[in-house]
Amino acid sequence: MSFSLANIDRRVFYWILFIALMVPFLNPIGFPIKIAENTRDLYEGITGDSVEPGDVWIINFGYGVSAWPECHPGVTVCAKALLREGAHIILMGPHTDVELTYKHLLDTAKEDFDAATYGEDYVFLGYITGYESAIAQLASNMRSVYPTDHFNTPLDDIPMMQDVNTWHDVSGVLSSDTGDWGGYFLTQWQEPYGVPMAQIGIAMLGSTGIPRWLAGNYFGMSVGSRGGAELEMLIDEPGDAIIAMDSISVSHLLIVIAVILANIGLLLERGRGS
Amino acid sequence: MSQMLKREVVYAITGIVTVVMFLEYFFFLESQAWAEMIRTWTIIIYNISLGLGAVRLVMAHTMRVQRRRENWAFSGILLAGLAIMLLTGLAGYFMTGQQTNNAIYNWLFNWVYTPLGATLYPITGFYIFSAAYRAFRARNIDAALMLIAGCFVILSNAPVGEAIWVHFATIGEWFRFNGQVPGMRTFALVGTLGMIAYGFRALLGKERGFYAGGEE
Amino acid sequence: MAYPTATTEIIGLWTGWVLMLMIYSYPLYKENPVYRFAEHLYIAVMLAVNLVVNFSNVMRICIRPLMGGNITLIVPLILGIMIYAMLIPEYRWVSRYPIAIMVGAGFGLGIRGSIGPNIQDAIVSTITRPTDGGTMAWINFLYIAVGLICSVLYFLLTYEHSGALQAPTRLGRLFIMVALGAYFGNTVLFRFTMLTGRAQFFLQVLKLIPM
Repeated sequence: MSFSLANIDRRVFYWILFIALMVPFLNPIGFPIKIAENTRDLYEGITGDSVEPGDVWIINFGYGVSAWPECHPGVTVCAKALLREGAHIILMGPHTDVELTYKHLLDTAKEDFDAATYGEDYVFLGYITGYESAIAQLASNMRSVYPTDHFNTPLDDIPMMQDVNTWHDVSGVLSSDTGDWGGYFLTQWQEPYGVPMAQIGIAMLGSTGIPRWLAGNYFGMSVGSRGGAELEMLIDEPGDAIIAMDSISVSHLLIVIAVILANIGLLLERGRGS
Repeated sequence: MSQMLKREVVYAITGIVTVVMFLEYFFFLESQAWAEMIRTWTIIIYNISLGLGAVRLVMAHTMRVQRRRENWAFSGILLAGLAIMLLTGLAGYFMTGQQTNNAIYNWLFNWVYTPLGATLYPITGFYIFSAAYRAFRARNIDAALMLIAGCFVILSNAPVGEAIWVHFATIGEWFRFNGQVPGMRTFALVGTLGMIAYGFRALLGKERGFYAGGEE
Repeated sequence: MAYPTATTEIIGLWTGWVLMLMIYSYPLYKENPVYRFAEHLYIAVMLAVNLVVNFSNVMRICIRPLMGGNITLIVPLILGIMIYAMLIPEYRWVSRYPIAIMVGAGFGLGIRGSIGPNIQDAIVSTITRPTDGGTMAWINFLYIAVGLICSVLYFLLTYEHSGALQAPTRLGRLFIMVALGAYFGNTVLFRFTMLTGRAQFFLQVLKLIPM
């Protein structure tokens, strides 16, 4: 059987996949979503007694436009949750398209950001680079890394930033990233200074991040779009992640079927061989 | 003297900067101005150096156009697109302080950069699918374990797994919270030890690969 | 984002849709000039965005403070420009100085920060016995402890994996394969989520589903 599968042009399978991904959007199924403990810990760490009004939190947009489906739903929920608790949010990111992600957040969490005031409830500092040095310096002296916000307003002229300049003034960090930037916050904010930190990363960072959550380095962790869907369930506001879950279910089922068929073929080949 | 400037002084600078960072961390409770200065300089150097790749790419594609190499027209498109977006972006920046205030730059940023960026990376999803039926075969116990773990995690990540059989999610969760932990902790631990060893080798001048070449 | 109503935005939306199909013509059909055009266009705009954003950032963190009186910033400015000596073969060695500073800072910060979470916390978490959870918690505790020791032994390359080391390193390899399998499972979620996003966009532009 695997001989037949291997003989079929791979483009046939690509078309099957692409069409299969679209069908659940047209005919939603609505599989139930169980909430994982790491996601619940994340949500509890940014709501209720964990956050006081006036607390300053950093949200790191460590992802670009290609990872919006993975990371953005989780970030949207976290931003909404923090704003509703009265916390102040600093938004920043290491990708050159961070401005697009910021505008996308203003759109996906529109009601909450419309009710908030720029400069008092949230501020967008913009692009950062310099890898570990930049994040370490951000902890020591924010103004040396960001003399102004993204819109060229000096930080001293921004009400919520007047008393904020070092790690002392920040209550927590939420890093949503596709690579190393969450790790830089871990090594330069959480480890030396004990600043509470959580990761809203891509699914692959779930593998490296879950041991850190178990060890207590992260107070919570959202793993990919599945984590985003779980957060949307916790805040009881279905969004892009829940909508995408059916399509993701279909694609995952196809992968497992493909793996099973390939291995059935292997067994048959071995049987014929012996 | 020339050799010392090209080699020993470089290693000395690396060593001094590394020691500065260590001293600040291990001997002081708060950050120190001298370490902050070095970090600020590093950030600025990083920012400026990011243009190097662009310069090399422009040089390479310009040469392709000049010498009419194969597919040189695409290099021309690249250079033209780069020029338009760069000039409009810089115009927007110098005139208003924000590059996205330029309408052409903003339109290209929103409607060309975004869909292309969002489309190119997911192509790997297709290749994973074709690899699944072609290459992911349990030929021995190692591969079998890897595939079993992978399949259970896949079925626990997707809500359909639990809908088919409730224990797919339970077993998948075990793999995520316990099964993968020894291996992942090992990678982090061994990777850090390797980084420390590599770092000290670099400080001692044994590793020269990243010092940009040029004659010794 | 709601379906746009402004003409420029509608044109932009459909431009993005067409560009997406141009890119997907490669896996779904074959390599062709249309795909190459889209690929080169992406490199062009990505490069331009990188240059513009980094330029504006250099202005923000270096040039304007320098013009405002912080004269010490002339040093990193010169060092940053020295990197471009890499393009001139006979002066390539000049670029080693800024690289030395970046490498030194990277090593110093990386090493000092990594020891805690990657070594210390990992070991402490592994050897901390469970306080609740019953038998299963103890089984998991032993699994992780034995697994970590065996997996680390697998990476011990100073001695040959034979004799007394053969069994634990073989076991360690199996634990590593389980971890890689789980990593593969998470990779599938990541890649397919991105692809799902594109499938959704395809339908949204055609107004088959709401935006």
